This record gives sequence, C-alpha cells and structure tokens, in this order.
Amino acid sequence: MEASRRDFMQYVVGAFGAVAAVGIAYPILKSLGPNAAAALQSKVDYDISQLKPMDVRVTSWKGFPIFVMMLPTPFNWNGPQRNNKYKNHNKDILGNHNVYALIGKCTHLGCIPLWKPDGDPSMNPSNIPVFHCPCHGSIYTPWGDNILGPAPLPLGIPPQTLNGTTLEIGTPGFVKKFWDPYT
Amino acid sequence: MIGKLANYIEERTHLSQMFQEQMVDYKVPKNLTFPYVFGVLAIVAFTIQIISGMILLMYYKPYDTLAFDSVALFIWKVIPYGWLFRSIHAAGANFFLAVVYLHMFTGIYYNAYKKPRELVWVMGFIIYFLLLLTALTGYVLPWGQLSYWATEVTVEIPGAIPGVIGETISLLMRGGYTLGNIALGRFFALHVLILPLILLGVVSIHLFLVRAAGISNPDGKPYDKKKEGVPFHPYVTLKEGAIAMFYLALFFFFVFFYMKEFLPGTNWEPANPLQTPAEIAPEWYLKGYYAIFRSIPNKFVGFVTFNLVLALILLLPWLDFSPIRSARRRPLFFIMYIVFIIAGAGLTIVGTLQATPEVAKVGLFFTALLFLFFISLPIISFIELGYSKAKGGEQ
Repeated sequence: MEASRRDFMQYVVGAFGAVAAVGIAYPILKSLGPNAAAALQSKVDYDISQLKPMDVRVTSWKGFPIFVMMLPTPFNWNGPQRNNKYKNHNKDILGNHNVYALIGKCTHLGCIPLWKPDGDPSMNPSNIPVFHCPCHGSIYTPWGDNILGPAPLPLGIPPQTLNGTTLEIGTPGFVKKFWDPYT
Repeated sequence: MIGKLANYIEERTHLSQMFQEQMVDYKVPKNLTFPYVFGVLAIVAFTIQIISGMILLMYYKPYDTLAFDSVALFIWKVIPYGWLFRSIHAAGANFFLAVVYLHMFTGIYYNAYKKPRELVWVMGFIIYFLLLLTALTGYVLPWGQLSYWATEVTVEIPGAIPGVIGETISLLMRGGYTLGNIALGRFFALHVLILPLILLGVVSIHLFLVRAAGISNPDGKPYDKKKEGVPFHPYVTLKEGAIAMFYLALFFFFVFFYMKEFLPGTNWEPANPLQTPAEIAPEWYLKGYYAIFRSIPNKFVGFVTFNLVLALILLLPWLDFSPIRSARRRPLFFIMYIVFIIAGAGLTIVGTLQATPEVAKVGLFFTALLFLFFISLPIISFIELGYSKAKGGEQ
C-alpha cells in the first residue's frame, strides 16, 4: 500500500518521540551511574616513601579497602600451602615486587583481615607473618594467597604500577589486570 | 514469542477492545482548533515534572543546613546530569503553569465550562489551585535567599486577616515563629507526596469528566457525533503528538539556553533568615494576585479581593448562564474577554514593577477591569437570554 500522509506523520512523530525517549533515558541512566568524584576514586596514588619493611598501610580504591604492603628484601616465607589450583596465585601475579597493593577484603564473607607480622597463634608454626581474618579465622600469606580457613579464593589485587616512590593503584603496570574474586 | 505474550495479555485484559472503544470509537468534533491542544500539553508537562522530580528526590535533603548544598552543590555539580534534571524541573514548573493558564483561557473563550461541563471546570479549577500550592511549596525547597524570603512573604499573607485568626494560620503554616526546619519538612512532604498524589487523583477525575460530559466545540453548537465527529485516534492523537514534539523542542530550548530566567542569581545564595535580599517578588504566575493584594491600601481588603477573584473564576459557569456558547458567536462576551485578557496581563505587568503609589493606582485600574469582566457576565447573559428567547430558544 502506498504510504499516505498520515503514515508519514505517524513515522515522523514516532521518530521524534523515540529521539525524545532516548534523549531523556541517556541522562537518567548517566545520573544513576558513578559521578565524577567516584570516577576519581578509580585511580589512587599512594606515596610509599615513608613505608618501612613489614608495614601495612590502608587506603581505599573504588570503595575497596586496600593494603599497601612493603616486604623486606630478601624475604623468606615458609608457611604452609594449600594445594589447589589457586596455589601461589597471587605470589605469581606479584612476582618479586616487595611493594604492592592488595584488596583487604576476605573472600569468604567480606571482613577486613588483620596483618599479623609476628604470626597468629592459631597456626603452626605460629611465628610467620600472615593476614588473619577475625571473622572466621581464614589465613592468607603476605601476598594474599588463602592457605587456611574457609576463604575460597586469594585476596583481590588491583591493577597497579610503581612510579618512583608512588604506587599508582588503578593504573595497569606490573599488575595489568584486576584480579577480582568478589564478583 | 512476543505475539504469544500479546495474545496471552489480550485474552485476559481485552486491551485492544478497550483501545477501540476509548480511542477510535470515541469521536471528537472535527473543527477543534489549535488551543484545544493545551490540555494534552498539560499532561505532557505534568509527566515531565513527575519524572524530573523523582530523580531530584533521590538526592534532595529536606534539612535546613543540608538543603541548599544538596541542590546547589550535590545535584547541580556532583550528580551526572543533575543540572539537567534541576533545570527541567524548574523550567518545567513555569511551562506547566503557562500551559494551564492557556488551557483555562481557551476554556473561557469557548465557554467550555457551560452545562454539562460545569464539573469539568470545577475540577480544573481545583487542579489549578493545587498546582499553585505545589509550585509554592516546591519553591522553598532549594533553600536559597529567594526561596526563603518569597516563602516568608507568602506565609505572612494570611496575617492580613485581622485578629488572631490570620496570625494562627501563619503560625500553623510555619510551625513556629520563624521559617525553619519544621516548615521545610512540611513543605517538602506536601510538595513531593501529598499534593502530587491528590493532583493525580483530581486530574483523573477531570479527564473522566471530560469523557463523560463530552468535549466542547469551537462553534458552541450541538454537533452530530456521527456526521461531524472524527475518531480520536489517529486524528487527534497524531496531531497532538506532533504538537507535543514542538512543545518539547521549545521547552528544551529554554532549558539549555535560557535557564537564568528560571534560576535567578539571588537563589544561588544560601537562605539567610537575618538578611532580606533587595527585591522579593513572586513568580510570574502569581504576580496578578500579588498586584491586586499590593495595590489595595488596606491589607485585609486586598487579601479578600484576590481570594474573591479566585472564587469568581471558580464560579464562572454560574456567572455566565447564557444559553449561547463560544466567544465566536457572542460579540459582547468577546469584547469582555479582551478586557479580561488586558486586565490579567496588566496586573501581571504591574506585579513586576516597583511598588509606588502611581503603580498602585494602575493596579487598581486593572483590578477594576477584572471585576468589570466578572460583573458583565450575568448582564450579557440576560441580554443573550432575551435574544435567544426571541429567536425561539436558539443555542
């Protein structure tokens, strides 16, 4: 059938209506998304010049609690291991870097683990430095690999790079991809 | 899949049957003129206010120390596109009232308030009044200097009633002796929930009554629905859809390029109860009443007079009881309609001027013109009643 003038009107009004709907849906969705201040949080610079070996400092990145670690060099750690496919997962990602950032959120139920540089009495031997989660007793290595307790996965690692004395969390560098065990 | 779902819903709701009955079989006069579109535009404007208002409500804080920053900083700067929704809401209120005024002027011009549509007019008046209250209560929420002091002046107005009554009303509106947190909370609740909820109900009744009584027509003559009616859909829906698009274009032109008119500089300063800004005047849609109130030397008489104007607008269907409808066929009414428009526009302009004795005199003149319109209606009706009888009961 030939398109009538009414059909034409219908298409034009429909098209403009669609443009109007999309035009208002876009800012509505944008307004519900993260704002500029939240977006700023996706890149956090941390000054490590005041850090001493075995120190852990806490900061925040994208709403996660972040442990900024400094390990002594050389550093020998001979605690127990858990034999599954995540064995030494985080240690392999972090390699030989002694300054790095971990996400301080237990992969079990989301508590913030405590840094025990002198070891935790719940494990054997009890004098090796570990992260101990106070909620259900999960134990992580200084690199965040889960070795004991109910935690199913190693701690998260944000993308990061070391630039002089600044640890740039959120910028891909020696850790390129966000290891995210929380989603 | 979609077809099956459509069938499933159709079998249970008979929506397409309802559409056929309510939209296609519903016939409207084919000679409807452009101004008849303002009713639909009012619905469009109402929808815009509801959507933008819901988004603003997510971030607004109704607390005196937080309100200003939550609007001027948080919504305006922090929330992505928050500025857009605030602009839409602020400009939208003005557009909404402008459309409602045009809708009312249309109704008066075509005498759409006459039997059997008196209740349509009464409901429409209630919508208009509630809308003014919604605009007033919303005006205070940004808690800027202008918001604060314009509201302070508003809540003082009932104080014009002599004795304890006026004072008590003012006191109850404020919830105390100064405009503060309590008033802000009340105005907030009224603006975001109570008044919109009532408005939705009253608008539904208004629309139902329009359908029940039938739409008026510009010629003011009874018309044969079968011969002179056209289906509401697609004739009217399409035309009004197209005009709604033009309306949106005009509206967003102002939102994007002329927001300074709707968000004046005085309101970008936080409310300060100890310092009144240099100029305080109500928004344009209240300036007519404001001019009446201000022009009359006695405050109480001024108060009664502008309320009387509101009451007379409500009573239009009974003031104008002539059997002849539409200004098109009523030369006397047409002249008085022009007087009415001049009086309304004149009062609005007087409301924007500095209050001097000369301006007050001009205001009194326009107030008199306005009352001349209302007084003339029964007189014209008597003349036309006689004319109609002489012609054998012509309508």
